Amino acid sequence: MNNRFRFDCIGYGLFLGLILLVVPWALDFDGFELNTFARYLTLGMVAMALALSWGGAGILNLGQAATFGLGAYIMAMHLKLKASAHMPDGMPDFMGWTNVESLPWFWEPFHSLPVTILAGFLVPVLLAAVIGIFMFRGRITGVFVAIITLAFLVAIQLVFIEEQRYTGGFNGITGLAPLELFGWSVDNYSLSFYYFVSGCLIAALVLALGLVRSKVGLVLRAIKEDPARVRFFGYDVARYETLAFCASAAIAGWAGMLYVLVLQFASPTYMGVPFSLAIVIWCAVGGRESLVAAALGGIIVNMLEGRLSDLFVDGWTLFLGALFILVVLVMPRGLYGLFQNLLERVTEFYRQARAERRETLASAQSIVSEPTDKGGR
Amino acid sequence: MAQLELRGLAVQFGGVRAVDGLDLTLQDGELRCLIGPNGAGKSTTLDLICGKTAPTGGEILFDGRNITGLPEFRRARAGIGRKFQTPSVFRELTVIENLEIARSARPGVFSSLTVFRSRYPGRMQEVVELVELAEELHTRAGNLSHGQMQWLEIAMLLMQDARLILMDEPTAGMTIQETRKTGEIFASLRGSHTMIVVEHDMNFVRQIAGTVTVMDQGALLAEGSIQEVERDPAVRAAYLGDGGNGHA
Amino acid sequence: MPAGPAARDSRPPGPYVGWISMDAFFNQAFAGLSMASILLMVALGLAIIYGAMGVINLAHGEFVMLGAYSAWLLQTYFGFSILVSLPVVFLMVALIGLAVERGVVRWLYHRPLDTILATWGIGIVLQQLVRMGVGTDSRYVARPTILDGNVVLGGVVMSNYRIFVVVFSIAVLAATWYLLTRTEYGTRLRAVIQNKEISECYGIRSERVYAMTFAYGAGLAGIAGALVTPLVSVTPTMGTYLVVDAFLVVILGGVGSLMGTAVAAGLVGEATALFSFLLNDTLGRVAVLCAIILLIRFMPQGLFPDRVRR
Repeated sequence: MNNRFRFDCIGYGLFLGLILLVVPWALDFDGFELNTFARYLTLGMVAMALALSWGGAGILNLGQAATFGLGAYIMAMHLKLKASAHMPDGMPDFMGWTNVESLPWFWEPFHSLPVTILAGFLVPVLLAAVIGIFMFRGRITGVFVAIITLAFLVAIQLVFIEEQRYTGGFNGITGLAPLELFGWSVDNYSLSFYYFVSGCLIAALVLALGLVRSKVGLVLRAIKEDPARVRFFGYDVARYETLAFCASAAIAGWAGMLYVLVLQFASPTYMGVPFSLAIVIWCAVGGRESLVAAALGGIIVNMLEGRLSDLFVDGWTLFLGALFILVVLVMPRGLYGLFQNLLERVTEFYRQARAERRETLASAQSIVSEPTDKGGR
Repeated sequence: MAQLELRGLAVQFGGVRAVDGLDLTLQDGELRCLIGPNGAGKSTTLDLICGKTAPTGGEILFDGRNITGLPEFRRARAGIGRKFQTPSVFRELTVIENLEIARSARPGVFSSLTVFRSRYPGRMQEVVELVELAEELHTRAGNLSHGQMQWLEIAMLLMQDARLILMDEPTAGMTIQETRKTGEIFASLRGSHTMIVVEHDMNFVRQIAGTVTVMDQGALLAEGSIQEVERDPAVRAAYLGDGGNGHA
Repeated sequence: MPAGPAARDSRPPGPYVGWISMDAFFNQAFAGLSMASILLMVALGLAIIYGAMGVINLAHGEFVMLGAYSAWLLQTYFGFSILVSLPVVFLMVALIGLAVERGVVRWLYHRPLDTILATWGIGIVLQQLVRMGVGTDSRYVARPTILDGNVVLGGVVMSNYRIFVVVFSIAVLAATWYLLTRTEYGTRLRAVIQNKEISECYGIRSERVYAMTFAYGAGLAGIAGALVTPLVSVTPTMGTYLVVDAFLVVILGGVGSLMGTAVAAGLVGEATALFSFLLNDTLGRVAVLCAIILLIRFMPQGLFPDRVRR
């Protein structure tokens, strides 16, 4: 147990060192490269959000992209309004093209940054709460959760594409103004922006760890194994599941907001089935049981994609598919499981070596006194 | 006042009446053994009381309150605990984590958010020492022996501190010594906890004594002390001339 | 997907109920039936695979896509009409299905959730292989000339080809039912579903039964793909969203019930057509998705629950 905890702490430390020190240094503090890496960090953040519900509570949410996309659109709406200040009525350009008369009421609140940020968390959480209560009160589990979340995702994306007048349709929302935070105009190609994104990731990680390491996390792990048994101890399983689902949505929405800051546009592909299942892939590759591992999975896979897809465009997708099949077949616990097994084997080896040495010592002494039970245990 | 009262409890699966108009009353602090041939509806009765199965007829009163329609976690909060036939502990969790789950006096989400560490000294330590699992606190429950798992589940029920404990064959797979020890624990709980024990091992039933209820084909067949029940001709008939000795 | 209702503005002739043109209504109903028949063939394969093995096959949409491309290939390079290609397509896609089952799926029978992930990976690979081999351009397949023309009933125009597809899908349903209930293979399969270990004790090679079942389900998807080619354009991603719909149909119908799958396919097809008529294509689909989700939530056993299990 203590060993396990120490192992985890070393992991956290390495992760912090990696994204705060090693990466900026290795990228030579280059603004463009840092922006690319900040993108990987936000994707790692969604993978972590999924690990919270999937690894933490056994809720396989195939619609994680929906909450991510909501966060992204909310931030994009704010930045679009800022960019459209000089337009007649302050209306976004695409609304003009589709003959929208005046700014729709649900766009109005996003003039305000605090409201936007609040909404970026609360809207995904609200959606998750509704879907969560709906599913978990009905004791929907396993495969059914996967299918229902997937169906919700498809429905939400369809609405966003259909309502072109309000959402930009297929094109999404483009031509955004930079964010202004406490008078700091965010340059998404700067070192300070990189640290802002990594700071957010770390903050989200700390909050999520707080949840996972509290008794809530323990109850959720128990629920993952046997929800019925947990009920007989008086826990309202649906509530715990909904909490995990909502917390995961909050982090995904947060990541979505950051993603728009990094890329400067929002697109309905953020809510697509392929993107949503890609999140599952990252999470599985890193290891669903650990938040940091899942985040690393997101970062590593996307980094590979960034490097490899330059070299061979077509081959990359093929590789990703094959990688995923391989991970599921050969290492279902992901890189995390691989490392843990390795570590356990190493410690076991040392323990045995030490025990053997002690035995030879003991037998050496026993030769002096008298030869007794050699077999031992 | 009666703590638990079953009135005309019935449940049907398809066309089969697993429990058929069962009446049962338990006093506070009583230890009741529930016996009967296979398929008599003993486990199903426990399922109905703890809320695993919904009855198709009759009602369940706990402390005079009708709990027939309550979901299982509300019944657990009201003070009903359950031990299953096959040890159902959380195999992926360690022993101490299992016990922390069982310590569920404050089962709400928000109070759970404030707990980060298991408080070991105190009740948990007592329970762990009682069931001799102190050495295994950080072992994954899945790595325990079968007997230890049974103990762990009993320990979890002690942690839960339910006022009514439903036990389904608690001694299955235990050695004679382990069985005797279980009997001692049950005896110590008598008075402070009400217990219903479904058991096949008649020696164990004799050891823990108490009142015995015999079920057959989903209904009450006989009730009384172990000696009275063993003499009852209807009970003998139900056990196919087994004479009430040994195994059912 | 059927065309939206342009009916309201142009006011076609014929009887009306309120503002609804009866002709437009029945045309839409027929479009729904046609969609249901395609959905049925896709869902049938999924239902068999899920019902028999508990495998959620997210690569099923790619099997449909492969069937469509096979039909295109056979027509473009060999001049086969779709009708002639059908058995060939069935065999081709069934073989691919067999390879997928032997290569990947069979290792995951005890991990149902992981099959979702692995089959998604397979889907990515298949899609990419097609993209690399054939390209991303939309492909079109000509309708068989014997099935050109329409049947006109009053104001309702039904293309012969769509009628053929409806009839064919019902025939496939009947054949599948026969296969599962009246043949030696069907008996073996049902035995394996009931209890794999005991079946093996009686000399049934469950591995083989599973492999055959998976291949058969894949073959059905291939046929569905071939049959839609004259109706929609063929692209590498055509199957991705189809699989979601088909899956909802399977679960809605109730696991292990062919009848349920058929009824659910009919319901979903008709409901989509109806809602598209009342709202528009996209919102119609959204409404149907929500309705299905609600139904699944309140009837998790599906419309036709499996009575054997309980």
